[in-house]
Amino acid sequence: MIQKKICLIGAFSVGKTSLIRQFVESIFTEKYLTTVGVKIDKKVLELEEGPIKLMIWDLAGEDDYTEIRLPYLRGASGFIYVADGTRAETLTKIVDIQEHIDADFGRLPFVLAINKHDLIGEWEVKQSHIDHLHCKSWSIHKTSALTGESVDQLFTDLAQQMVKP
Amino acid sequence: MQSISETLLYEISAVLLECQPDDNLVRVTPETEWFEYLFSASSLMDKYHIDKHLPFLSNFLIDAKEHWKQGKEGCINSGPWVEMYQGQELALEALALNFSRKHFILIKNLGETYLELSNTLQIARDNLLTAEKLEKELIKRNAMLKHREEQIALRLLAAADYRDEETGAHIQRIGLYSKAIATALNLNQDILENIQIAASMHDIGKIAIPDHILLKPGSFEPDELKQMRTHAELGAKMLKGTDIPLLNMGYSIAMNHHEKWDGTGYPNNLKGEQIPIEARIVAIVDVYDAMLSARPYKKPFSEDFVLQHMTENRGLHFDPNVFDTFLSILPEIRRIRSEVQ
Ligand SMILES: Nc1nc2c(ncn2[C@@H]2O[C@H](COP(=O)(O)OP(=O)(O)OP(=O)(O)O)[C@@H](O)[C@H]2O)c(=O)[nH]1
Ligand SMILES: [Mg+2]
Repeated sequence: MIQKKICLIGAFSVGKTSLIRQFVESIFTEKYLTTVGVKIDKKVLELEEGPIKLMIWDLAGEDDYTEIRLPYLRGASGFIYVADGTRAETLTKIVDIQEHIDADFGRLPFVLAINKHDLIGEWEVKQSHIDHLHCKSWSIHKTSALTGESVDQLFTDLAQQMVKP
Repeated sequence: MQSISETLLYEISAVLLECQPDDNLVRVTPETEWFEYLFSASSLMDKYHIDKHLPFLSNFLIDAKEHWKQGKEGCINSGPWVEMYQGQELALEALALNFSRKHFILIKNLGETYLELSNTLQIARDNLLTAEKLEKELIKRNAMLKHREEQIALRLLAAADYRDEETGAHIQRIGLYSKAIATALNLNQDILENIQIAASMHDIGKIAIPDHILLKPGSFEPDELKQMRTHAELGAKMLKGTDIPLLNMGYSIAMNHHEKWDGTGYPNNLKGEQIPIEARIVAIVDVYDAMLSARPYKKPFSEDFVLQHMTENRGLHFDPNVFDTFLSILPEIRRIRSEVQ
């Protein structure tokens, strides 16, 4: 079976761990437990092209590219960048981090999750910012780890990009 | 018999492995329960081949090999990672070290250390989030209060507007021009925040001028003129005596926007810098906009004429410095004029 490593990257408390838990175990927890170190989850996705095993690396939240331990990203076939819709600066930061990773690791498939869409009333991220990234052909999903909205689509989208010849 | 170091490592829940030339790892100290559980899938006797069963460690081995190859002193560490063991999270860390030309990997269970580290980070991050929230709340509240003040001011202005030929657009433009000049003059934040609405209030005293004077086409008789001029003080009186910065500035502008730089204005014949800066700004834009506007009794003047007339009054009616700034941002002033009609 094809096996691919993917990493979730984003500022602290944007919902990286929650997205993985929703995707892998269909669980959501309200309480915030910050991730320390690395945890790897596995899940097999059935695509039209056949099954694919995702090795999902959940990394501790970092605000800045220089703080990410780059060896952790080695061997990844794709990235999920995560921002928190209720904290506009988390999107600015992740866009900056994406540029650095793109420069250092070469262009690999990636998707962007703007998470906590269930809190749309408290969203700060501007549609114009999202449109701007769309224009640069970013693949963007407004997700909610709480309701599960677009969570499967997020991972499936990335998986499909990775198996595309 | 076990050596003291073997016993010690076992007691602190760590296991030492030696890397062989064929890249297999050989365990050199007794295995702990968690080690047995996690590594059994990768083992053949006491030899371990780390691969996809332990992806984190297998990734770290790449860095370890680099470290061994360089033959450097000391060790590098993998940073903590988490495996599931007996339904619980088990936090581990690996160290790679050179010793007597041999290559070792030490894998240790972080246990309590990890909990302490997690707690410390958790508190730090919770605090950051709280601080972030409080700051946002504060900004939101301030903006809301400001918005309320502005709404009240705009209501008052609307009331004044009903009777006057000066349109809402004129009042709005005066606010925008004034703010543009204040910004170009790099005035302080308090002024910048309030001048737009405060400047719009400059003629609010006209609400108390009787219709037959206020709406009279053509020029005034001397006593009519005298009464008309009371609008400055009347407006000031209306806005006086609160501790709201916006209204205080509105007061200052209403009172002083007909003062002239050379001291020949009204109501107090103030001169030069005795006239508050905000009023010196409004004096300029009020004349500019009024002369360019049509009135029932007059056609608008051309901008060339207006600017020439105003330039002649530089240093007489107008503060020369503010007037120069006004000229320097004319393109922006014109843009405001065309956008707000
Ligand atoms: N309402 C809502 N809350 C969410 C959502 N996703 C995550 N959260 C909450 O946000 C907080 C942080 O979530 P985590 O998944 O721990 O965030 P993280 O990005 O893994 O954080 P670090 O590990 O510290 O980098 C938790 O309190 C979650 O319950 C969501 O979609 N909606
Ligand atoms: Mg996390």
